[in-house]
Amino acid sequence: MIQVRELTKTYADLRRGQFVALEDVSFDAEQGQIYGLLGPNGAGKTTVLRILSTVLRPTSGTATLNGYDVLTQPALVRHQIGFVSTNTAVYDRMTAWEMVEYFGRLYGLDKDDLRGRMEDIFERLKMNEIRDVLGAKMSTGMKQKVSIARAIVHDPPVLIFDEATSGLDVLVARALLQTVAELRDHGKCIVFSTHIMREAERLCDRIAIMHRGHILAEGTLAELAETYHESDLEELFFQLISRHDEQRRDQQGHDGDAAAAESIHTMETRIA
Amino acid sequence: MKWTNVRLIFLRELRDQLRDRRTLFTIAVLPLLLYPLLGMSFFYVSQFLHEKPTRVWFLGADALPDEPALIVCDESEKCVFSSEFCPKSQADLIELSADAPLDAATARKIAQEMAGVAPAGDASSQNGAARRSAARSSPTLSKLAQETMKSGKYDVVVYVPPDFAAKLARFQATLRPGGGESPSSDSDSNPSSPADVDVDAVPTPHIFANSASDKSRMAKLRVDDVLQRWRERIVESNLERSSVPVAATKPFELVTNDVAEDEMRRAAVWSKILPFVVLVWALTGAFYPAVDLCAGEKERGTLETLLSSPAQRSEIVWGKLLTIMTFSMLTSILNMLCMGFTGLFIMQKLGAGGMAATGLNLGPPPLASMGWLVLGLIPISAMFSALTLAIAAFARSTKEGQYYLMPLLLITLPLMMLPMLPAVQMDLGMSLIPVTGMMLLLRSLIEGQYADALRYSVPVVLVTAACCLASIRWAIDQFNNESVLFRESERFGLGTWLRHLVRDRRATPTVSEAVLCGVLVLVLRFFASLMAGQPDSWSELAIATSIMQVALIATPALLMTIVLTRDRRRTLLLSLGHPLAIPMAVLLALSLNPAVHLLSWAVQSLYPLSEGTKLAFQPLEEAIAGAPLWQLLLVMAVIPAVCEELAFRGFILSGMRHIGHKWAAIGLTALMFGVAHGILQQSLTAAATGFVIGYLAVQCGSIWPCIAYHVTNNAAAVLASRLTPETLSQYPALNWLFYFEPATSATGEAAGSLEFQAPLVIVASLLAVAILYWFRRIPFRPSDEERLQTALDRQSVPVTAK
Repeated sequence: MIQVRELTKTYADLRRGQFVALEDVSFDAEQGQIYGLLGPNGAGKTTVLRILSTVLRPTSGTATLNGYDVLTQPALVRHQIGFVSTNTAVYDRMTAWEMVEYFGRLYGLDKDDLRGRMEDIFERLKMNEIRDVLGAKMSTGMKQKVSIARAIVHDPPVLIFDEATSGLDVLVARALLQTVAELRDHGKCIVFSTHIMREAERLCDRIAIMHRGHILAEGTLAELAETYHESDLEELFFQLISRHDEQRRDQQGHDGDAAAAESIHTMETRIA
Repeated sequence: MKWTNVRLIFLRELRDQLRDRRTLFTIAVLPLLLYPLLGMSFFYVSQFLHEKPTRVWFLGADALPDEPALIVCDESEKCVFSSEFCPKSQADLIELSADAPLDAATARKIAQEMAGVAPAGDASSQNGAARRSAARSSPTLSKLAQETMKSGKYDVVVYVPPDFAAKLARFQATLRPGGGESPSSDSDSNPSSPADVDVDAVPTPHIFANSASDKSRMAKLRVDDVLQRWRERIVESNLERSSVPVAATKPFELVTNDVAEDEMRRAAVWSKILPFVVLVWALTGAFYPAVDLCAGEKERGTLETLLSSPAQRSEIVWGKLLTIMTFSMLTSILNMLCMGFTGLFIMQKLGAGGMAATGLNLGPPPLASMGWLVLGLIPISAMFSALTLAIAAFARSTKEGQYYLMPLLLITLPLMMLPMLPAVQMDLGMSLIPVTGMMLLLRSLIEGQYADALRYSVPVVLVTAACCLASIRWAIDQFNNESVLFRESERFGLGTWLRHLVRDRRATPTVSEAVLCGVLVLVLRFFASLMAGQPDSWSELAIATSIMQVALIATPALLMTIVLTRDRRRTLLLSLGHPLAIPMAVLLALSLNPAVHLLSWAVQSLYPLSEGTKLAFQPLEEAIAGAPLWQLLLVMAVIPAVCEELAFRGFILSGMRHIGHKWAAIGLTALMFGVAHGILQQSLTAAATGFVIGYLAVQCGSIWPCIAYHVTNNAAAVLASRLTPETLSQYPALNWLFYFEPATSATGEAAGSLEFQAPLVIVASLLAVAILYWFRRIPFRPSDEERLQTALDRQSVPVTAK
């Protein structure tokens, strides 16, 4: 469903030259699976998900969703996904119903189909009481519900959640995780990024641990425990990150900025 | 692009803006309140407004003649100008101080300085007026007057020399009856003929005013008015003494008849005011919604929600653009109506008399003018909306977005004010200036000058449409540019930035570097042409042209290539390309020559060169006519071809290719190439030629065919200038190709102009089409951005997932 191969993203930085936000990231996520991206702030999780949602373009590497390339077929990719992120807010001057309807129409849904689907979603997510409430008057939890409704209104095969529980209270976060699990059970392919171990452990079928733009380890919880001889995810997380930072310090001491120079790629190979 | 999505986005944004109280207030409520409030305050303020009296220090009142009396004093020794020269309404506005004389020493010094002025030697050889103008003021008196006015005690100082009355009387005594009737017939027998009257004998009164002070300028006008009347009275008295009838000085009156009808006069006034008001509000009305719809959305976090929706960037831009345009037009029209109604109401209340006195019978604007305004408002609003949208997309926050309003106003306001200058009329140059051209076109339409409007409507519409499309394209590119949408604040330092330019340079220049190079070439050429004088000979012209080409066109491009790019060969297109490309380019230049000639003729017929430009070119043409042919070909064909191609098709086009649209890159480069050709008429033809050469550069990926085309094109023009009717009679075969159009008085050319035979034009044009098709078949190397854009354009939207 999702194939990510050697995805790299660099930004021009006045002082540091090219800053590598993501380097050679590869992973696969399948239908009916929640793929977790676990990492501290600045690990590159949001960059990966922004590339998958076609908001950003990769510097090099490929990513396909349901067979569509994020670089050359972004409009087609966006039809396949629903994207919920801390950066995708709801409109202050629109009601919950208007907002979901607007995006449903943008996805090209027929008016009658859309109405039926919206009734179903509003019922399922218990949103009927906020149906006519303006975005500006909603609580954080209500806004998150509207965002999910907006992301699933066109019933996409792929759903992307970027730190979706951030800022939510325990009750709302729990309900959201429940919704995500239900969506997985409905056969959706879900990419879920978080920096909370508990969420990853509870929800994800496969986990990639990310740090400084790299995937340090990847697999199911059992595979990770077996490979690294550590059953506690949090402990494993710290070990991997510490080891990576030590290696990086050693490498910087040896070959200076060779790593930075290597990260400069062109997109020629991608679009040839 | 799906227009249903554009409509959806437009309707959402429109509803969103209408739900925003701030926008509603700015768009609808403010104009409804603002103008009535302004009108009200105008009424109140006008009640307190009154003219302040002018304070005049009159020195030398005792030196004035008794008859006619300029100043009269009452018992209390309060002096005023005589009512004969100063009407009551004006007398109240002049406070005269004639009883504050100078101390004796200063008065003597001034008198001496004044007396020393008149040249004694050749006085008789000059006429009186010239001698009077040669009279200089006394430095002591000037300083005294300056200090007095600076201290604020007086607004103007009048000085009459001590012997004024006496000398005037002596002068008048020399006037005899009948003196003016036969001034030149018998000067010996008539002592009062003009040649004998010593006008220099009467000393000059002086008025001292400070032109840097409004009060003083006003005072000078008032005093001047009085003194003029007084002098006229003296003139009349002199004529009486000479027995010359007063009517001799004014034997007839000049009567001016205004043929303009009332509606035409109104149209003329409104045509200057309305376009300005409409355009200023169109810009202001576009800005606030644009900032809210871009920077505001970034701030609120909803932009990424929209960007991750299936709507394409172009659909988002069009949806937002239409919203901004709607508000821009609504603001403009509402402000125009509110201002118009309030203004008319106030004018009527001020009274018809006041308006008649100013000669301004400002009724409502003619209905047709409103129609033209709304029609002109559409493209201008679209352009402003796209510009503001692109700029607002750059801003990270609404606060930052609002900072950008001022630079945008500073750039567009001069373009809006230019047509309001009285000397500015519609011509080709003006019609090619964005905004200004449209304002002048609107003015012509409102004034009912339809022939003028029709003549220049094509360039104005083309320029406005091009600006609109370019602005919209820029806005779309801004929305496709993630470094703009997700821009983060970064500490800027000039050194860091320069290091970044060199350290992180790309294989070929960026779009901004290409634009910078183009602007640099244009600016350098402009200042060099201002500084350089007009060459007098062929050698001077040859040296000046060569230096300008090498130093101001090729050198900046080459330096920028060395410093800013990694792959110089690719930037300057130095590879050889297709082996047949060079001969084919030469053939194309030759076969397109008749078409270029026709285009040049059409441009010059529609928009003829001004007489000034023709005169300026005359010495150059004469210099060129005498130059050796090989030198002419080197300076006019080879050097420009090499230098201009390296700059325009080398550096600039290579950078422009990163836009992602081949035709846009070629078009923009051709536009810069055209602008670099100084004279407007020449620029149009050069831009068309630049477009063809740009196409060759893209198709061949090589600069050499471009140089070959450019050399051939210029050489053909040089050789054509050398062909004469004699050459044709010497080589009769040439008559199959060319003929000489007989000279007309209109063209002013002695030998007539060289024209192509019609069959040649047809055959050559067909050949050109075939050669262009040959070039089209060469597989060209697209830039990364062009390849990406092609891939993006090819993607189709799938059937919606259910």
